Amino acid sequence: MNRSACSIALLSLAPILLFLRGSASAEEKTQPKIQASAIQILMVQSEEVELPIEFRLALYENLVEQIQKVNKFQHVYRDGDPAAADSDLVILHSNVYGFKKGSEEKRQVTTVSGATSINVHCLFTDKAGKSELAQDVTGKVRFMGGNLRATYDFAKKVAQVVEKNFQ
Amino acid sequence: MEIPAKMPRALLILCAASIWIGAGLPSPCLAQHASASNPMSFPESKQVLGLKGLKHNTSGTLSVENGSLVFTKGKTKAVVPASSITEVLTGKDTERTIGGTVGTLTLFAPYGAGRFLSLFRTKIDTLAIEYLDPAGAVHGAVFTLREGNALGAKEALLGQGAKTSVPVEVEAEAAAKQKGKKQ
Repeated sequence: MNRSACSIALLSLAPILLFLRGSASAEEKTQPKIQASAIQILMVQSEEVELPIEFRLALYENLVEQIQKVNKFQHVYRDGDPAAADSDLVILHSNVYGFKKGSEEKRQVTTVSGATSINVHCLFTDKAGKSELAQDVTGKVRFMGGNLRATYDFAKKVAQVVEKNFQ
Repeated sequence: MEIPAKMPRALLILCAASIWIGAGLPSPCLAQHASASNPMSFPESKQVLGLKGLKHNTSGTLSVENGSLVFTKGKTKAVVPASSITEVLTGKDTERTIGGTVGTLTLFAPYGAGRFLSLFRTKIDTLAIEYLDPAGAVHGAVFTLREGNALGAKEALLGQGAKTSVPVEVEAEAAAKQKGKKQ
């Protein structure tokens, strides 16, 4: 009895689930992509948490490198670059709000503890400061690599966000 | 009568032997003198990231000369003028004694041998710099150096015109405190 009840419930839920999935994908499809020919990446800020300078610099450098690799923009400008004056310039602000420094030794010895994670709020704005896109991204290193590898993981994820949302 | 004749001969052989031994070891001695003559040179350093034209985690020699930070790997040289450096900070870290590809391969060794080898670690210093390129754009670079070298490198950079928000004395004091705590 129980089995048949379960199967009936599942069968009745199936069309609803299919409908929801379909509408979600349609929403994704209809969401317009942001158009910009240039991006300026500002230096990573960490007002809420204490972040060692090597992590801050590694986050910034990896961001520049990974966004250049995505090839969505004609120009990728660094913070302070006076050439960043394109009319459709997008500015990326990154603010670290969570940081847990793990231990490479612990990771390699135990495989379950010692993970490093960095939580960053990424905000894409236009030149006037109007928000275009905001997303929280987490960089992690769980097993292989040093602690700074979390910054590479973060940059790769931001590059994916750029790939998905920019034309 | 034969004894005095033999003595100089033995001496001659001894002298020749000492000259031969001396000649056999000239290069390390010279190399030691070379590094001692340039105290601003830090061999066995690693550029973790940030320098243009160099791959991540490149091993080489970091030196401070002619008002610049120079990182040399073979024929490749990356130069950052000290006057363009807006921040220099040091730190401490450790790395696997057996690193690189061999180190990675040992992780797959049977009976947890790789994990055991991970316990053998070498203490290293880190040196992070933030600098501006000629256009005024911000760059960052991170290096690792042998233990005890980072503060010397920072002092040398500050002497050549680099800027910092944390003086060397403060960092040295903090490092000494940390060492004291661990002991």
